[in-house]
Order: sequence, then structure tokens, then C-alpha cells
Amino acid sequence: MSGGRASAGDTAAPTGERAAPPPKPPEEPAVCGHCGDRFADDRLLALHRGRAHREALTDAEVEAYREARTEERDDVRLFRVKALGLLLLIYFGFIYVYAFVL
Amino acid sequence: MTRRRRLVVAAVGLLAAAVAPAAAHGAGLSGAADRSLSVPTWLFLTTGGGVIGASFLLASFVTDRSFIRRVHGWRRGGLRPARAAHWLGRAVGLGGLAAVLVAGLVGPREATRNAAVLTVWVGWWSGYTMTTYLVGNSWPAVDPWRTLAAPLPSLDVDYPDRLDAWPSVAALLGLVWLEVVSPVADRPRFLAGVVAAYGVVTLAGAVVFGADVWFRRVDPVARLFRYFGRMAPLHYDDGIRLRLPGVGLDEPRLVTSRAEVAFVVAVLWVTTFDGLVATPLWRDAAVTVVEAGVPPGLLYPAALVAGYAAVCGVYALAVRYSKRAARTYLPADVLARRFAPPLLAIAAGYHLAHFLGYFLELAPALATAAIAPLSPPEPVALVLPGWFGGIELAGVLLGHLLAIWVAHAAAYDVFPGKLQAVRSQYGITVAMVCYTMASLWIVSQPYAVPPYVT
Ligand SMILES: [Zn+2]
Repeated sequence: MSGGRASAGDTAAPTGERAAPPPKPPEEPAVCGHCGDRFADDRLLALHRGRAHREALTDAEVEAYREARTEERDDVRLFRVKALGLLLLIYFGFIYVYAFVL
Repeated sequence: MTRRRRLVVAAVGLLAAAVAPAAAHGAGLSGAADRSLSVPTWLFLTTGGGVIGASFLLASFVTDRSFIRRVHGWRRGGLRPARAAHWLGRAVGLGGLAAVLVAGLVGPREATRNAAVLTVWVGWWSGYTMTTYLVGNSWPAVDPWRTLAAPLPSLDVDYPDRLDAWPSVAALLGLVWLEVVSPVADRPRFLAGVVAAYGVVTLAGAVVFGADVWFRRVDPVARLFRYFGRMAPLHYDDGIRLRLPGVGLDEPRLVTSRAEVAFVVAVLWVTTFDGLVATPLWRDAAVTVVEAGVPPGLLYPAALVAGYAAVCGVYALAVRYSKRAARTYLPADVLARRFAPPLLAIAAGYHLAHFLGYFLELAPALATAAIAPLSPPEPVALVLPGWFGGIELAGVLLGHLLAIWVAHAAAYDVFPGKLQAVRSQYGITVAMVCYTMASLWIVSQPYAVPPYVT
């Protein structure tokens, strides 16, 4: 295994590295109590804690992580449907254009 | 294999099968007239862009973090190279350098028969460079300047940190400018002079700053091959190990500063520039500009730098958009560093498209010239079959596909949210689609001799 991806925590840059708010930031960033990283919402924070601080989580944080994963799963499913639709659109779009041009 | 993954694999195959015949049609590349009859250029380019967009969508179906980690963490081997391999590498490097200098100075004056020209352009810049990204970076073992610098004393002057990788960026742009405007590929004497001058600067730098610092931080060729080597399957990590192609590009420690990002973007840009100046469009534009009163000597450096600035600007824009779409508190600089290495795969694909045919056509000439450097027989050139253009085209597309995948994996490593990671790639994917179309357009253009060069 390569050094860089031994654990998700490796990429969690030290505090301050994550201090640049995105355009249209939330009023209050969600701040990680373990490392001080900031996130745009609580769900990203919960996911971050679950990946980066798995061993140090409180029961409430574990529960938040589980919930965030479930929500994410639903969103990913919806995204896949859309992506598949777009793929089919591209695919048949090209078939149509090729049939028309050639 | 899970059902989902099988679906992904099947979909990739399906798309490839659908697009391949069309692409093969359109791949007359070096000016085959049948392309213009069968597939119009706009459709050929849109298909290329569509393949990139579609592969981004396909990559986004892979949302299993542990699968990505397994793919990227897969390693085999750990073979320690024998002592003899070091000596062999050095001997090959020094022998090649000696051959270039001798044949360049006293060999025949026709470029196609001269061993120096053929060694540098066919053997080294085409063939050897391909091995750095297709096999592994052996340059540290071969580099003759490094071998020559090793026994020299060093003044160990502190390398100014604020210079970072900027000298190698400037040197890379400078070398490409020289390659385009000077007779470095036509006049053996001139080539030998350039190689010698490069060596003098390199050895002087190695003496002043120490060989290790020079080759790690300044030397543009060492840096280029090191970066290309990151996408190669073989790499050195306490022994020679095997990994999947491209996976080394998503390691965070590969690019660690703004100057190194600039170097990666420069690699991408110079491979494009090299092709761009050989298109009829450039020819017409250059003639127009020079006739309007711009000195020809200014034309190439100005276009080189302006184009570079434009590509940097597009990348910065894509990264800014990535930050916005991912709603991350990570500074744009961090994202720029993390998403730069995948661009090397695109540059490598473009290098392959540009030089594979050239290498194969001239390899016999190189072989005959190498056997008798001072009185070579008439050069023989291999004639490549028409379908070969399809392989070149595949190089461009494969480089982009690899880049899409590596960027996808890097985004998963950086961001806690899966959809956040996917969204972070929208801007970069759009930039890649545009870049593919531009690259394919250049590759599809007939060759036109660049004007105002000697
Ligand atoms: Zn944290």
C-alpha cells in the first residue's frame, strides 16, 4: 500500500489548511472537534469524522456517521440514475448523429 | 466481481465498441483524405469529447472507497536490481552521450543519416521517453550528466527555496522553444553544441548546489522523467515493484508546491505547442502576424508564453470551480496540487500519439546509424500501415481516460463526501473535454512546416 493512502486521516491537512471558505459559505462552518477541520455542513463533517477519526468517535458521532452514510447512499443512488440517463443520452445521441451524417 | 462492477465493465466495453469503428474511420490522422469524406472533423472532435465526458460519468459509478483503495494500493514484487544494472545504466548513458558528441561533430551532415540526431530525437526523446511512462523511470540510473557530476566536488551553496521548481519550468519552456525554432533536429553540429552546453550548465549547477539538489530541484529533464515515471507500472520503492499504470499519479507527495503545479501544466502545454506550430492554422496566423510588423524572432517565445499563461489560467479556473462545486474549506492551492498529476497522463498520451509513429518509422535508420556512426549506409525508413493512425488516436484517448480515473480516485481521497468528490471534478472534466478536442484537432491536421524557423 502506498504511503499516501494508508488512511483517510493522511489527507486531512492540519488546521489552517482548511480555513479557506468556499464561495457562498454557510453562516457557521461545521468544525471537527478532533482536528479542527471545517466543513460546509454537518453531513460532510459526520462523514469526515467517520473516515478520519474512526477510533476516537463518541457514540453520538458514530450514530451521526451511520446516518450520514445512509443519506449519502440514497443520494448516490439518485445520482447514478441521472448519470445513466445522461450516458444513454450521449450514446444514442451519437448513434443518431452518426446515422444522420454517414 | 459484483453485479455493479460487471455493469461498469460492460458499459465501458459497449461504449468503446460503439465509438471505435467511428474513431477508426476518423483516424486517418496524417492527412488521409478519406476522413474528410466519411466523418466530418467536427463530429470526430465531438466524439472524442463525448468519450471523455462519458468516461467521467462511468468513473462516477465507482463509489466504493475500499475498491478504489485496493486498486491503487495493489503492488507486486520488490526485486532489488543487481549492482551490474547500475553499471549497465551508466555505461549506456555515457556511451550514448559520447556517441552523440562524436557523431554530432564529425559524423555525416544529413540529419537522417547522422547518429547524433537519430540518437537524440528517435532513440532518446521519442523512444526512451516512452519507456519512462510506459515502463518506469530509469533516468536517474542512465542520466550521463548525473554520472559525470557524481565524482565532482560540491560548493554546497544553499539553493534558494523561493526559486522552488520555477527554474525547471523556465528551462522546460526554453528547451521547447529551442527545439521549435532552431535547427537542433537538422544540423548535427548544432545539436552537439546544444548537448554540450546543456552539460556544462548542468555540471556547473551540480557543483554549485550539489548534484542531489540540482537533479532533484532544477534539472528539467530529470524532473520531467520523474513525473512521467509516476504513471509507469514499475517503480522503485525499496526494490523494483509493479503497480497498475497511473495509480502513482494520485499520491499527495508528488506535487507539493505551486511551482510544481506550474511544471506539470508546462509539460502538458509544451506537448501541445509542439504539435500546434506544425498545423496550417499556425502557419497562416504566424504569417499574418509577422506581415503586420511583429518581428519573427518574437513570435514563437510570445506564443509559447501566452499559450502557457492561457493554459495555466484555464487550470486555475477549473480548480476554482472545483472548490466552489465541492463547497470545501480546502484552499484552491491544495486542490490544484492534488489534481495536477493526472494531467501528466494526458501529456504522456499526447507524447505517444506524437512520437510513436515517428519512432517506429525511423528506428531502422537509428539502428543502421548506430552500427556505423561515421559512415552509415543509406537510411531505411519503415512505412507504417494506414490503421496505425488509430493507435496514435488511442494514445490520446487512453491518456485522458487514465487522467479521469486518477482524478476521480484523488477526489475520493481528498473529500469526505462521495457526491462532493464527483462534483469537484465537473470543472476539471469540462476542461479536459475541451483539451481533448483541441488535441485531436491538432493530431488530425496535416503537417505544415512551421514558418520563420531555421
Ligand atoms: Zn477531523
